[in-house]
Amino acid sequence: MAIHEKTLIDADRLITSDKLVVDGVDVSGHWNTMILPRTLKDYDDDFETKIKTYSGAENVHRCWQCGSCTNSCTMYAQNTDFNPRYWIYLVRLGLKDEILKDKDIIWQCVSCNKCTNICPKDVRPEGVMKALAHWIEEEGYGSKSNSSIFDEEFTRQCLERGRIEDSEVMSNFFKNSKQDMMQMALHGWLGIFVARMNKWTELRQGNVFRFLSRTPIMHSLHMGLSMFIKPKTKSWGRTGDVLKQYVKEQKELAHG
Amino acid sequence: MSDTVLVVGAGPTGLSAAAGVASIGKKVILVEKEAVLGGAPILSGYAKLVPSGEWAKDAIGRMVKRVEDNANVTIHKSTKVVKVEGEAGNFTVTLSNGQSANVGSIILGTGFTHFDSINKPEWGFGTYEDVLTTTQMEQMVSSGKIACPSDGRVPERVAILLCVGSRDRQIGREWCSKICCTVSTNLAMEIKEISPQTDVFIYYMDIRTFGLYEDKFYWKSQEEYKTKFVKARIAEVTKSADNRLLVKGEDTLVKRPIVIPMDIVVHAIGMDPSEENPELAKVFGIGLEKHGFVEKGEQYTSSFSSTRRGIYVGGAALGPEDIDTSISHGLAMAMRAVGDMNALVQKAA
Repeated sequence: MAIHEKTLIDADRLITSDKLVVDGVDVSGHWNTMILPRTLKDYDDDFETKIKTYSGAENVHRCWQCGSCTNSCTMYAQNTDFNPRYWIYLVRLGLKDEILKDKDIIWQCVSCNKCTNICPKDVRPEGVMKALAHWIEEEGYGSKSNSSIFDEEFTRQCLERGRIEDSEVMSNFFKNSKQDMMQMALHGWLGIFVARMNKWTELRQGNVFRFLSRTPIMHSLHMGLSMFIKPKTKSWGRTGDVLKQYVKEQKELAHG
Repeated sequence: MSDTVLVVGAGPTGLSAAAGVASIGKKVILVEKEAVLGGAPILSGYAKLVPSGEWAKDAIGRMVKRVEDNANVTIHKSTKVVKVEGEAGNFTVTLSNGQSANVGSIILGTGFTHFDSINKPEWGFGTYEDVLTTTQMEQMVSSGKIACPSDGRVPERVAILLCVGSRDRQIGREWCSKICCTVSTNLAMEIKEISPQTDVFIYYMDIRTFGLYEDKFYWKSQEEYKTKFVKARIAEVTKSADNRLLVKGEDTLVKRPIVIPMDIVVHAIGMDPSEENPELAKVFGIGLEKHGFVEKGEQYTSSFSSTRRGIYVGGAALGPEDIDTSISHGLAMAMRAVGDMNALVQKAA
């Protein structure tokens, strides 16, 4: 390992290969680690225009990098990586990769608007932060939370059929959120989950059949069945399409 | 004793001084070393002037005509002053055309010399055809067409490098040339106006668009003409494999090295002391300050005096100066020259 101070180098710039041949010389092993250069090779001239289409970011091109926004920022006081001035500069030059390095904190803007009030050029940095958060979300750069994945599956079924199949919601949720149901079952979590869905009191009261009807055996049979039979709510017709259209329009109204 | 005033240099300063002296009814001898009047704005083919936005040939042209049409002004073109004898109120000056004259006072509007970009070879001037100076770019703007000199293509990107020949201890230029920031932002707008598909990037250490130039030039170019300002001092200009220029440097805000392709690179060249200053100092018997500009005398009660009595100096001969201020210097020197001659006449009487 020829590079000792690896902590000083961005992880994504460290390239390690098992087999590496440079100019015909096999350098596998001791010299197998390379560092990608830090040089910025180009600007994305259209990126600023793109961000300006989000409401709130219309004035981003006015920024002259005085740093008043960062200086006044509520979040910067908590975390010095939260730097609106810097992100605005990156937007102007179209240095997308640099912005994406901070994709997990840009959304933390609390919209206190101190930056917007102090900005001498009326850039409205708070609007730019909002625009960036929306852009990151819309382009799919942000990682989805489990609750978003659950909501998406739930909504999908609602709009399609006017009702949900709870077993389908759960199985798709586990699948989409990459949670291994077998592993969960082996670790007992699924058992508790199923047990909680059942009513132990039924057994205690001697209602064996009622209890059995809610055991995993019956449940899995039900799950299996609902893979094939997916009834819709009565007279559902085009209701789902209309609702979808309405949600889309509302989103556009809110985000521009 | 003579009440004629010798004005040396027919740029904005000298033209203004000559017109000022003549307007009070005194005789003026105007000496210009070049064959045309107008100074740097005319000789270097400036486009639209800052801050009026008027074309140089129109604005300075009017100043030239005003002086040419004035019967009190005698003009000597392609002529230098070669000898100055005597003292305030009674100088005898000899011109390179063999003539001599008796004058009461002397006004120097001898101006500056543009920095020669050859002295910063790492920025590619003289090596690559598409590396230009602001004066060359102004000439391109005057021609009405923005194109790469190498192959005539319309540039996608133009980079303007500020502080070329200014604020640089390496080459002994420890001054700010004052007006290049404003000129560059103005140039960026002119480029965008002629060629909307061209994006202009200005590489800066600071932006010094002083006074009212702030919003009229800096803000306007940024907000209305989409000029991008990048905080980086360029280290080197080279060429890419596909024949574009590469500007190399460090973006000090991103804290990363940059190598960005450009189509035209413009040097915002600074103002050097006139290359004739050592000769002028000898001929007129005046001092030069440490950078090589003409040294000022006492400012508060003897404004625009040089270090020799009866000789006044103003405009860019004193240091980097803009045209509007140079014109005011010219008028102020006319006042000084005539006023001091009157005082001498009164004293003699």
